[in-house]
Amino acid sequence: MAIEAYTEVTLPADRKVVAELRGVSKSFGDVLAASDLNLSIGEGEFLSFLGPSGCGKTTALRMLAGFEAPSEGQVLLDGDVVNDLDAHNRPVNMVFQQYALFPHMTVTQNIGYGLRQVRPRIPKPQIAERVSRALEVVRLGGFDDRKIWEMSGGQQQRVALARAIINEPKLLLLDEPMAALDRKLRKEMQIELQDLQRQLGITFVLVTHDQEEALSMSDRICIMRDGRIVQIGSPQELYDRPNSRYVADFVGTSNFFDGTLQGSPEGLSTVLLDNGMQVQGMAGDGLVDHQDVCISVRPEQMKLSHQGDGVEVKVHNRIFLGEHTEYLVSHQTLGDFLVLAPRQADLTEGAFAVGDTATVSWEATAALILDRN
Amino acid sequence: MRFYAICVYLFLYIPIGVIALFSFNAGRHASQLQGFSTKWYGKALSNPFVMDALETSLTVAFCSALFASVFGTMAAVALQGIRGPVRVAFDMLIYVAVMIPGIVIGIATLIGLVTVFDQLNPLIAAIWPEGFNPPKLRMGIGSLIAAHTMFLMALVVIIVRARLAGMDRALTEASSDLYATPMGTFRQVTLPMIFPAILAGFLLSFTFSFDDFIIAFFVAGSETTLPIYVFSSIRRGVTPEINAIGTMVMGVSLLLLISAQLLLQRGGRKSR
Ligand SMILES: Nc1ncnc2c1ncn2[C@@H]1O[C@H](COP(=O)(O)OP(=O)(O)O)[C@@H](O)[C@H]1O
Ligand SMILES: [Mg+2]
Repeated sequence: MAIEAYTEVTLPADRKVVAELRGVSKSFGDVLAASDLNLSIGEGEFLSFLGPSGCGKTTALRMLAGFEAPSEGQVLLDGDVVNDLDAHNRPVNMVFQQYALFPHMTVTQNIGYGLRQVRPRIPKPQIAERVSRALEVVRLGGFDDRKIWEMSGGQQQRVALARAIINEPKLLLLDEPMAALDRKLRKEMQIELQDLQRQLGITFVLVTHDQEEALSMSDRICIMRDGRIVQIGSPQELYDRPNSRYVADFVGTSNFFDGTLQGSPEGLSTVLLDNGMQVQGMAGDGLVDHQDVCISVRPEQMKLSHQGDGVEVKVHNRIFLGEHTEYLVSHQTLGDFLVLAPRQADLTEGAFAVGDTATVSWEATAALILDRN
Repeated sequence: MRFYAICVYLFLYIPIGVIALFSFNAGRHASQLQGFSTKWYGKALSNPFVMDALETSLTVAFCSALFASVFGTMAAVALQGIRGPVRVAFDMLIYVAVMIPGIVIGIATLIGLVTVFDQLNPLIAAIWPEGFNPPKLRMGIGSLIAAHTMFLMALVVIIVRARLAGMDRALTEASSDLYATPMGTFRQVTLPMIFPAILAGFLLSFTFSFDDFIIAFFVAGSETTLPIYVFSSIRRGVTPEINAIGTMVMGVSLLLLISAQLLLQRGGRKSR
């Protein structure tokens, strides 16, 4: 079965929905950990919750797993409301942040744990066969009778993965599964996880605070902030069309200049920046005339030249990155911001040295007018 | 500082060492050593009164340690599931139960049981069928086991609670995430992981019950446990036979305590 990539903000109408959150909120005493979450998760999708620590990602995941009951709203699995269904009755499995492998069992016993709970019982040889197949899938063949504490972090993570996928869950929930791995291993596991997801066709829901991880692996990303979902979209959409300064800042890097919207926001609009400059930009949805806004311009959308139109800046710092050169420039009233020049530009136009004066320009369509928050 | 520490240890352990030493004394008198012999051990072990007392002590120690382990574990697991003032209150009561002097427990249990028995005995006699001798509740091995179980339970709760608290909550969540029922999770994950602590609690309870004199003195009724036997014999003078019994009891206790300590250490390491 081919799993095609998601590009739409919302699920296509013909996509089967496996899980849904409808107005779900969760409070712990005075803390509102999740607030009015609305989300449909499609079959075979790779969905991520992305946000800083403490924004409620784990809470959202735990409500899907059945460890927390929502204070308000409904959690649906396969169209049924499962608010009151205990975790052990949900066809959903989780890979825990610290793996939570059973220390008193071998690798094989850990992986077969879920199958051993099924009633009526699955015959032993059948369990053994499925366990060894799962071991192959996560490339741990031959580790059958190892003790958990004899395995490295990366191997333990594979055991945790095998222990979950062997049950062929409707949803596989992963809570920052890569956080405990070192950088190199994390990259490898990201690729492996993606392969695995395509190969098995299981719906993955990943929680992470690492934007790079979310961007590289997900079909769709839910950006979270203070318990709310602020935007849902494909990685590309979130990068190209963030709906707020928060999202633009969290997904990739951007330069922001505060100002006030002039006139009604339709397509290209004018913003009066706080320093008195008037600039054009693409207005996002939901803005009104005279609203306090900011414009966001990605560093790679900015062009640095020796002369011509644009704002005059002084080059403050220069970092050579191979394909790109990153310039930190400063403008008298706009302050410091970043410009990313492709290697080609450096070669044809000549590179800039620290202390040089230059002009920075950008296309009006590259400037996004966004809510300031 | 070192010097004082050495003095303290000598002060603590010399009497014990002397008892062990004189238990191997060939002579009859506790004042002079007359060569090595194990005959007092043979004598002690062939004394029917000693063996009787030993049997009582072992029965009481085993039963109360068993009950204390089972009920204590149940209490610890239940306490793990609740929060707030109820738990704080229980925690405090448990520590109090461990710290109360044995003599208070002994007297309180004695008065409590006697009062209850005095109320129950006429009732039992009244409902018992005509012509049969009604059973009479009295102090004895049952009250010994009950009294020991009560105070040892607090000990087991503390040991098992410590182990449960050190256990990652994600493990039980993972188990239920993998379709195990609460009972299944307890059987397959919680119990195996806290088992070393339960066993350690059992061994400690066994030792404390086996060594206990004060509580037993109050609630034993007409039963004689080994410490009670030793106590009553000493009134007739310290014999090498008593020294031999004391040394054996000490040896067994020490062995059990060390096993318990090892179990707790090993269990703690494995969970990490
Ligand atoms: N069991 C709990 N009791 C009280 N507060 C909690 C509990 N779980 C989470 N919270 C609070 O809810 C908020 C969101 O937490 P969490 O979902 O773990 O965030 P994230 O996974 O994004 O870091 C935090 O402020 C956290 O302190
Ligand atoms: Mg978290």
